Amino acid sequence: MKYYGGCDVGSTYTKAVILDENGKIVAHTTLHSKINPERSARLAMEDVLKQANLGSESDLTYLIGTGYGRNKVPFADENISEISCHAMGVHVTDPTVRAIIDIGGQDVKGIAVDTDGTVKNFAMNDKCAAGTGRFYEAMARSFEMSLEEFSNLSLSAKNVIPITAQCTVFAESEVISLVGEGKPMDEVAAGIQMAVAKRCFVMAKKAGAATSIALTGGCAKNAGLKKAIEQVLHLKVIELKTDPQLMGALGAAEYARRKAKR
Amino acid sequence: MKDLKHLYYLENLLQENNNELVRQAREQGRKCVGTVCYQIPEVLLNLPGCFSVRMRAPRTSSMEMGTYYMTSLTCEYCRALLERGLEGGFQFLDCLFDPASCSQMADCAENIEKLELCTAPGFFAQHVDTPMKDDENGVSHMVNMCRVRVLQKLHEAFGVDVSDEAILKAVELHNEVCGLITELGRYRAELRPRITGYEFSVFCLATYCCPKDLLLPILRETAEELKTREPDEKPPYRIRVAVAGAEIDDPDFIKLIEDTGAYVAVDRYCFGSFPGRQRIELDTESGEDLLTQICRKYVAECQCPRYMNTSKVASRKAYIDRLAREYSCDGVILQQINFCNFWGYERAGAAHVLTTDYSWPVLSIDRPYTVGMSGQIRTRVQAFIERVELKKMGGNR
Repeated sequence: MKYYGGCDVGSTYTKAVILDENGKIVAHTTLHSKINPERSARLAMEDVLKQANLGSESDLTYLIGTGYGRNKVPFADENISEISCHAMGVHVTDPTVRAIIDIGGQDVKGIAVDTDGTVKNFAMNDKCAAGTGRFYEAMARSFEMSLEEFSNLSLSAKNVIPITAQCTVFAESEVISLVGEGKPMDEVAAGIQMAVAKRCFVMAKKAGAATSIALTGGCAKNAGLKKAIEQVLHLKVIELKTDPQLMGALGAAEYARRKAKR
Repeated sequence: MKDLKHLYYLENLLQENNNELVRQAREQGRKCVGTVCYQIPEVLLNLPGCFSVRMRAPRTSSMEMGTYYMTSLTCEYCRALLERGLEGGFQFLDCLFDPASCSQMADCAENIEKLELCTAPGFFAQHVDTPMKDDENGVSHMVNMCRVRVLQKLHEAFGVDVSDEAILKAVELHNEVCGLITELGRYRAELRPRITGYEFSVFCLATYCCPKDLLLPILRETAEELKTREPDEKPPYRIRVAVAGAEIDDPDFIKLIEDTGAYVAVDRYCFGSFPGRQRIELDTESGEDLLTQICRKYVAECQCPRYMNTSKVASRKAYIDRLAREYSCDGVILQQINFCNFWGYERAGAAHVLTTDYSWPVLSIDRPYTVGMSGQIRTRVQAFIERVELKKMGGNR
């Protein structure tokens, strides 16, 4: 059996996937990124190789690096941008998806997917950290909660308290003030989720989303955000069968499989 | 490919506005004229006794001071120039001509003047309005502007000779430079090009930022060198692109695009060669004065979105399409600097028209002034290359 790897070195998490020659996921991992992207890639690959009972990277027929640290995956045969990889990852998971919002650690991307899994068009918002994974980390810290606890907090809100600040730093102080004034925490959290959903609006439009959209990246697991996107954007969020955070690595592994077959 | 003999020298030269060749020309007693826009005919700023320098702000970091005077919602090129002025980087200028038609640039020039950032005796900043339509009224307006605000001013302030003989001499020099740059640029049409887009951008930029007569020996020698330069057996590029849009005065941006895998086969941006490096053919027998002939050519060839008549708006897209075809491109990168009024509108429309009417894959970028090291821009370019490359393999453009 031949095996193919994808390693997605993101700004906050590093993900790796190994596929067999039939395209089945045989191993995957998600780790906190280290300051050194090369080390992050090594740790992630060690983990998946161990899961797949493979000795080293040389046991993989082809390996592709992606993510912001894609140039730093030392053992990769080549690198492909995370935009192409997310599109392909989603395509192999659900070929009906035509529009994606990828909310990563430091940027938000809207991706229009073609019928063959290639990118039809894309748009990126990387002007600041607002609305990205970093933003959620800052908000969860303000609430003294884990990311998971915070992402569920807004689900019980009866009302939405809008957050006016766009900047992550100012939004954090606004949230602290609101909570200090005694505003219900779940309603403040709902305001945060709505602010991020609004930031996704332009990306969704640019990705050509009409009725439905798939979310990828770490923030795709945020239940409160999914609800806000459905309410604010009036789009159905498609549930992916595979962990949405793995889409970049999965797409990279799928590209590796296709390229090695040629 | 073997390194071009003068590339390293020019790369270093372009790190400073007041570079070695500029200093040399000033030591000869010539007046240094700062300029910021194609629309003020460069040839009029290079009459005997003066020479032009297109103003830039290489190695810009923060723009705190420029932002204080101009606010954060203004074009980063204008702010970067003001910042450089506040840092003392334009002390060498004897005067400055700016297009009043770009209010942000006029604001920048006004600040440079009012804050007395250029201390040369008799320094002045002159605002030159430019037309909005490429008709005879537009030509007439431009002729008046150039006569009164450029030629007359240069003559009064510095005693510059503005006679027809002087203009013909300046045109002759301009044409030799343009001929050489065109020769260098044509090699980009080769499928195994003997010059990179980056190398070309360095040579082309130098012609805007250095006294032309002092640069000529370098250009001549490079043109000879290129005749026998052996191109790489297999060029390290995956696709060929045209880069169009707002000003690019940082060759590292072109380098970033090429390092990511897209050969920049042709340029259609301010500080590039299309337009800007075309010969000026004057008819001395026609009876029409030389200034009018020069202005007519600039009005006709200008590709700035400042021109708003319908035919000009449409022709701008057709021009990019023609260049991209002529240089065998696979896609178009349309870029603008953040908060550039004119290119902000143009980019949105052009991206749509080039995609739908001309079937080009288009990457549309809103970028900061300095992009050389930008990981985000690199990701966009790489994704665009992958998109175009995969479609090419599938037989689609």
